[in-house]
Amino acid sequence: MNRLIRGEVIRLFATRLPAWSAVAAVAAGAMMTGLLSLVGPENSSPPMPGLDTPEGVGIVLGINGMLLFIPALIGTIAITGEYRHRTIGATFLVAPRRGRVLWAKLLVYGLLGLAYGMVTAAAAGLALSGAAAIRSTPLGVSSPELGGLLVGLALAAAVYTVIGVAIGALARHQLVAIGVVLGFFYFLEPLLMIMPGVNAVYPYLPGGATAALLDFTFLSDAVAAEMPIAAPQILSALGGAAILLAYAALASVVAVAFPLRRDLA
Amino acid sequence: MSGVDIEVMGLTKRFGDVSAIEGVTFRAPAGRITGFIGANGAGKSTTMRILLGLVTPDEGSARFGERRYRDLANPSDTVGAVIDLAAAHPSMTARGHLRTYAALGGHPPERVTEVATLTGLEAFIDRRIRGYSTGMRQRLALATALLGDPRVLVLDEPSNGLDPAGIVWMRTFLRRFADDGGTVLISSHVLGELQQLIDHVVLIDHGRVIWNGTRSRLAELGDDLEAVYLHLTSTEVIA
Repeated sequence: MNRLIRGEVIRLFATRLPAWSAVAAVAAGAMMTGLLSLVGPENSSPPMPGLDTPEGVGIVLGINGMLLFIPALIGTIAITGEYRHRTIGATFLVAPRRGRVLWAKLLVYGLLGLAYGMVTAAAAGLALSGAAAIRSTPLGVSSPELGGLLVGLALAAAVYTVIGVAIGALARHQLVAIGVVLGFFYFLEPLLMIMPGVNAVYPYLPGGATAALLDFTFLSDAVAAEMPIAAPQILSALGGAAILLAYAALASVVAVAFPLRRDLA
Repeated sequence: MSGVDIEVMGLTKRFGDVSAIEGVTFRAPAGRITGFIGANGAGKSTTMRILLGLVTPDEGSARFGERRYRDLANPSDTVGAVIDLAAAHPSMTARGHLRTYAALGGHPPERVTEVATLTGLEAFIDRRIRGYSTGMRQRLALATALLGDPRVLVLDEPSNGLDPAGIVWMRTFLRRFADDGGTVLISSHVLGELQQLIDHVVLIDHGRVIWNGTRSRLAELGDDLEAVYLHLTSTEVIA
């Protein structure tokens, strides 16, 4: 098992994916949060709570939750690369116990996702603090509270990476898998959020659980304000974390189980 | 070193309604080069992929000595295989590719430069695979197969795209490998290409083995092996 993990680490760092991931993590973390913090949520249209309120901090960090498709895509690209470049056959030749190969990949890609999350959370935290300092606005949350939100963001990124790996393992075709990831996070999940009745499931979807973890209720509240439907009540932060971890576990089982017996013809 | 024979017994595989191979049986003995010859789509690749545990057969078994591929203690220590020439990440260098597979197979990192030297890749080892010619990819695939210093080589159409010098090099290499007691199973859709090299011939057509024996016995059927092969496959179609 150790050598499979080592092999996957060597494989990962022999490609440019880690470098691109680092660039994406900094850009995603600093840009959205930084811009919105600099402009100030209270100056947007319609005005939102300012940085000096907990809700305002939740909004500028929570906006990062909308960029979690990036770590999901990183996971998808990492695993489907093996199918796209047809190296999966050579990998299963060296390690015919396919389950172990997939567990090693999940672990390594999951850690890559966690690293992405830590970098992006640090970038977002710095951007937020920097913007608040420039605008001489006190932050609406204490440092430990801010730290908690950033840890939540990092954790969510790791989970989204693992979900991306599972989707990649199922779809195998790189472009199809990327389409599924983007379609889910940008189309299906928002659609489920606004459909009356069905939107009761939103808190239990990855996006809803992430919103709980990041204390980001703005999106669901906005939906409720615009539409004649009840706002889906998002879970507590711990509840959101539990749901996300459950998704990671489910995704892991899917990613490991499906390639096990499939013929590589 | 003791030899490892390849034993293929009654392999049958259907993909949906299409029968890929039926009752494929042959033996590739140690110390010999066995040519596995058939037209494209005749069932060579399916047979080899079952042999290597990548495809599950509907019936029959394929073994290296006593064991199925996936039951070997550390398969890449015993068997080196080339199944797919295009198989490499284009943005990796050959060194990155070989280091990955050396680590996965538990082979010492020194093997990376050893197999690169052995296959003539050392001058290109730090170039990205994106820029490789078919011949260089061939050498990389073979180098990957040799990482575990195996006693058996299973090569699916390994000379496709090799330049003449590469073909001569591969022939010399495989002959020495077999003379040292190694087992070689090599497939091709052109008999002529392997004519000089192989000791044993297994002819496959439409998923069935239609002829199996030494090259000298095949030569008794006619001087031109390619003509003999075409004759054998056409009688099978008529019958």
